[in-house]
Amino acid sequence: MPEEVKAHITGVVFQVLAKPGDKVGAGDPIIVLESMKMEIPVEAPRAGTVTAVKAKEGETVQEGDTVALLE
Amino acid sequence: MGMKELVEELRALRRKALEMGGAEAVAKQHAEGKLTVRERLDLLFDGGTFTELGVLATHANVSPAMRGKETPADGVVTGFGKINGRLASVIAYDFTVMAGSMGRTAEIKCNRAREIALTKRIPMVWLIDSAGARIQEAIGSTFAQSGFLFREESIMSGVVPMVSAMMGPGAAGTAYIPALADFVPMVKGTSHMALGGPPLVKAVVGEDITPEELGGSKIHCEISGVADLEVADDKACIQVIKDYLSYFPQSNLEKPPLVASEDPEDRMDEELLTLVPDSPRRAYDMKKVIHHIVDGGRFFELKPGWAKNLIVGLARMGGRSVGILANQPMVLGGALDINSADKAARFIMLCDAFNIPLVFLQDVPGFLVGSKVEKEGIIRHGAKMLYAVSEATVPKVTVVVRKAYGAGYFVMCGKAYEPDLIVAWPTAEISVMGPEGGTNIIFRKEIAAAPSPDEERARRVEEFRKLINPYVAAGGAFVDDIIDPRETRPVVIRALEMAQTKKIERPWKKHGVMPV
Repeated sequence: MPEEVKAHITGVVFQVLAKPGDKVGAGDPIIVLESMKMEIPVEAPRAGTVTAVKAKEGETVQEGDTVALLE
Repeated sequence: MGMKELVEELRALRRKALEMGGAEAVAKQHAEGKLTVRERLDLLFDGGTFTELGVLATHANVSPAMRGKETPADGVVTGFGKINGRLASVIAYDFTVMAGSMGRTAEIKCNRAREIALTKRIPMVWLIDSAGARIQEAIGSTFAQSGFLFREESIMSGVVPMVSAMMGPGAAGTAYIPALADFVPMVKGTSHMALGGPPLVKAVVGEDITPEELGGSKIHCEISGVADLEVADDKACIQVIKDYLSYFPQSNLEKPPLVASEDPEDRMDEELLTLVPDSPRRAYDMKKVIHHIVDGGRFFELKPGWAKNLIVGLARMGGRSVGILANQPMVLGGALDINSADKAARFIMLCDAFNIPLVFLQDVPGFLVGSKVEKEGIIRHGAKMLYAVSEATVPKVTVVVRKAYGAGYFVMCGKAYEPDLIVAWPTAEISVMGPEGGTNIIFRKEIAAAPSPDEERARRVEEFRKLINPYVAAGGAFVDDIIDPRETRPVVIRALEMAQTKKIERPWKKHGVMPV
């Protein structure tokens, strides 16, 4: 069961840093949100392989939205 | 019997009490990775300074269920001794005696220890390792005559420092002791606290849950915010109690002790030039800024695992105890939410109660906005922080490191909140709101009417951005100075020295109505 990586704050997707197939470590940024005048990374909660990225640059995501899947 | 025999009898009784719940119970305590209550007190107090009270106490024999049972010291060790040369009163539950349950006699001993702390104005330390009330002695409506300890503890709050270390279970009755104390370390793996333990939870609400999931150190240090610090074992727990108390005076009538430091007060720190990134939207680790300005880089952080967007903790600067509050851009961009406001307000009250000056390091893009935080009551939580910083009469020093937006600037001790010194780094951005938000509100019509609204907006944003400039604030003498980041330590230390005689009179009131 892949783990859902969720946005922890509402914001606009500023950068998408990972793509499907990428191996990430715990704490690695997957996307960067722009919110509260800051660039706020959404990080991998654990090490794994990114299987899907659901966020697109320029899109608004709500807190709790799934932005990527991690296997 | 002659005196010699009488003394022998006394010695035998004492020896028996010191054996606690017996060899088997002690072995079980050790097997769980816990020290016994007496081993803990040996570590806590300076050698030979502990005076025990009530060692010969036994249970009150009020219930048939207790007939024939032995309860050495009635399951709690009480007394007074010196911690790093300074007196403290102690109540330490003994799990080897009826699971450290609170018996009637035990409570008489605890009353005595609390009274010593309060009337002699010395810190009160609890070591909690207790199943809670001793049901065998408190069954049914004899309960009507109980609960005095929490009222007394509330009255002691802010008079003497209170530490409640969780070194085993703390259920029901013993869970409110830490809730009302100032500092609550929890030993990882062996300590738990919950208003109702797992058996009661199962009986009342039908939930199956382990003590660790219900109220282990991870729950309280990372999710609920009830505890302050997770520690690896009993030894580490006793050490943090000593470290914590070293920053505090014995009571609210005194100032914290001065502790000479080898770290020069006028030390300029080159590293401070490189910590803040060139892009104002990038995060950096504010803890590094703290480490570079405090004496010897030593920072005693409280609640490091909870509400991490705001850092609070104790340190010394020029030998003086200080409470540091700093926004953490690494988490939520440093924006404030309900938990960080709660954490800050409580910490400000703690320092103000015990005459510990406050140092604020600002990098705050504001309070979070949106429907989620409004439903959580961000207005009243934010107000709690405003209230606490307004009430505090201890010396306050503010350094605007970078962002200082909206009410974030206020609650982090902006100019209106009586800082004894407020300075800014050249990177400071002090403003009611950011250029984008401000432009959209002020020039909404002009932007809409322009031939190219996007270009017009961009132009207006750049104009707005130029007004967010620390030299505007310094030019109006709204802040006291713009400083070279390297000078931060000497500037703050000089301000703390200047403010040590601070005297602020408030209008008389019984107490305010705090927005909790």
